[in-house]
Amino acid sequence: MTDQTISIVYDSMSRVVVVRSERPSEAKSPSVGVFMTMLEVGLNELTGMVQVTDAIKKYIPPGVIGLKVNCLTRQYNSTSVALVEALIALLVRNGRDENDIIIWDRTSNELDGAGFKLNLSSFGVRAFGTDVSRFGYSREIYSSGEVNSLVSRILTEEIKSLINLPVLKDHSIAGLSGGLKNLYGVINNPNKYHDSNCDPFAAQVLGIAPVKEKLKLTIIDAFRIQYNGGPGFDSRYLTEYGGIILSDDPVAADTVALQILEHLRAAHNLPSLEKSGRPVRYLATAERLKYGTADVKNIQLNVKTMDSQGALHEGSLF
Amino acid sequence: MKRRLFIKSVAGGTLATTLAGTEFLPRFLGGIENACAFSFTKQLSSKEARFYKRLESGGIECQICPRRCRVTDLERGYCGTRENRADKYYTLVYGFPCSANIDPIEKKPLFHFLPGARAFSLATAGCNVNCKFCQNWEISQMRPEQTDNFELSPQAAIDICIRERVPVIAYTYSEPVIFYEFMYDIAELGQKSGIKSVMITGGYIEPEPLKALLPQLDAVKVDLKAIREDYYRNIVGGQLKPVLDAIIQIKNSGAWLEIVYLVVPTLNDSEAEFRDLAHWIKNYIGIETPVHFSRFHPLYLLKNLPPTPQTTLERAYEICRAEGLEYVYLGNLPGHRAESTYCPKCGKILIERRGYQILQKNIERNLCRFCRKVVPGIF
Ligand code: SF4
Repeated sequence: MTDQTISIVYDSMSRVVVVRSERPSEAKSPSVGVFMTMLEVGLNELTGMVQVTDAIKKYIPPGVIGLKVNCLTRQYNSTSVALVEALIALLVRNGRDENDIIIWDRTSNELDGAGFKLNLSSFGVRAFGTDVSRFGYSREIYSSGEVNSLVSRILTEEIKSLINLPVLKDHSIAGLSGGLKNLYGVINNPNKYHDSNCDPFAAQVLGIAPVKEKLKLTIIDAFRIQYNGGPGFDSRYLTEYGGIILSDDPVAADTVALQILEHLRAAHNLPSLEKSGRPVRYLATAERLKYGTADVKNIQLNVKTMDSQGALHEGSLF
Repeated sequence: MKRRLFIKSVAGGTLATTLAGTEFLPRFLGGIENACAFSFTKQLSSKEARFYKRLESGGIECQICPRRCRVTDLERGYCGTRENRADKYYTLVYGFPCSANIDPIEKKPLFHFLPGARAFSLATAGCNVNCKFCQNWEISQMRPEQTDNFELSPQAAIDICIRERVPVIAYTYSEPVIFYEFMYDIAELGQKSGIKSVMITGGYIEPEPLKALLPQLDAVKVDLKAIREDYYRNIVGGQLKPVLDAIIQIKNSGAWLEIVYLVVPTLNDSEAEFRDLAHWIKNYIGIETPVHFSRFHPLYLLKNLPPTPQTTLERAYEICRAEGLEYVYLGNLPGHRAESTYCPKCGKILIERRGYQILQKNIERNLCRFCRKVVPGIF
């Protein structure tokens, strides 16, 4: 199959891949190696390509790559350092220069707290927050619907492509904190956009020009999921799901993430997000705005499970 | 560093963004030995906020303003200046202003409050609304880590006033309601030292915190942005009703009150609105309350609209005067006769102004020098 045929087949549906690890010993703190395998499987499944190099080429153009992580809860439940290191290892192995990779979040302090090694130098993988003085926010206001914001200059000026690496968790207002919500971390005034359960704002952030142009891939860290009491950390509601969710459609990735979150809530006898007064309407809004697919009927979901021996099987979402 | 030299050196910098009439506050005020007090810092405060309650379901509810933000751990309220940490709510801007200037009081504008006085004017980052026309959006719409802040304790603020012989502190530029605790403590200290406090606000505040604050304040200027709810909803991002309630509460408290209405072409400039505004003022806070109609300039998110035509402002003036309001002013129209105060009884000029300058004053102990009519205000 050529790349072209694949894209023709897949264009009609949004494609989401979930890769789960069943290795009990890895459940709490999976190694970089395990994550690398999961990422390779995920990227291959997502693109239909056998070589990861081709899969990376398909999504990530040459130039500096930004990895937007979520470090709100610092060491407790941020994007896994091992997952990010695994992704970097894949990128580097496939020809990308380490210094052309930037791990970033709102502040260096948050990154540091989550265990990322800060680095502003011209050697090695860079990692810093928007708050470092030579970056900060754009002078220009970017508008998308009701969202009017300054945007991190890491996004507007420094990187060519963006890989969004959120943590899947519950959110006290948005309901779901996944990929779209993580993009609140690229604007200067996220506090202004939490009314009405972040709807339509979380959808509209996807329409901010540099986000729209540069966001290439969403990889949601769903290894440990806090299914209630988020976005702050609450260990009472933490469970191991052991997965990552990959998609080039940010809305579809979040739609699948939402299914998992709702399932976990139900399994723990918690009311649905809708019944908890936190309906996740912003995904349907994002679909209406044509930023992606929120209708599960139009999402081609592929779940793979890695067993304790490292063998791959067809898996199930729940 | 000599003061004048410093003023020159900051021109074009963050402290130099305000308009004519401002004396830029030297960062090294009082000599180099105090330099550290005005060095920019990345530090934010961790002072427990006032007026919030813990929720049974987890999180807190902030009760400072009508938004009543419900905020869970590590999150902030709408204004971006208050943060929940383990269900304790903190203000992040206490003692960390981002703007400090000495302005003429006329710039606020307060026209019936110590005319000609200088006001040490302070602001922190943040605001509890998001007006599409905001002229200070570069501080009001930022989170405190996005502005250049410096450390200034309440006592240090009072000390500056005493040293610089400035009789008034103004809480202004952004929205003082969101730096409530800082404002409150400065105002309380100021009272003990004879420094008056004035709040320049949108009036979007809950009755309880306002009630506690008012005894510390000498004057309040409220930006009443419109007399229509839909304008508040669509252009301001707030609600009208709580603002009207706050204005009445301020009036009843005895603090000096003036109202500003920014006239935005096509959005709040109809004659019906000017008339409704006049009626409301007449019915609820009295015809003696000064009302300033201010000219809009295209800024922030309303760059597509033209500046307010002078004729529209003059129409607002005429309507309010015809409805019986006694002290109506037009702002941002330098040299216009409606910058000055006239005696409603004899028509003679009481205070002649040009821009922020006072050219003549004909008020003696709150009386018109010509006809002895009582002129309300603090003169
Ligand atoms: S003061 Fe700030 S946190 Fe408190 S209710 Fe108002 S906007 Fe929300």
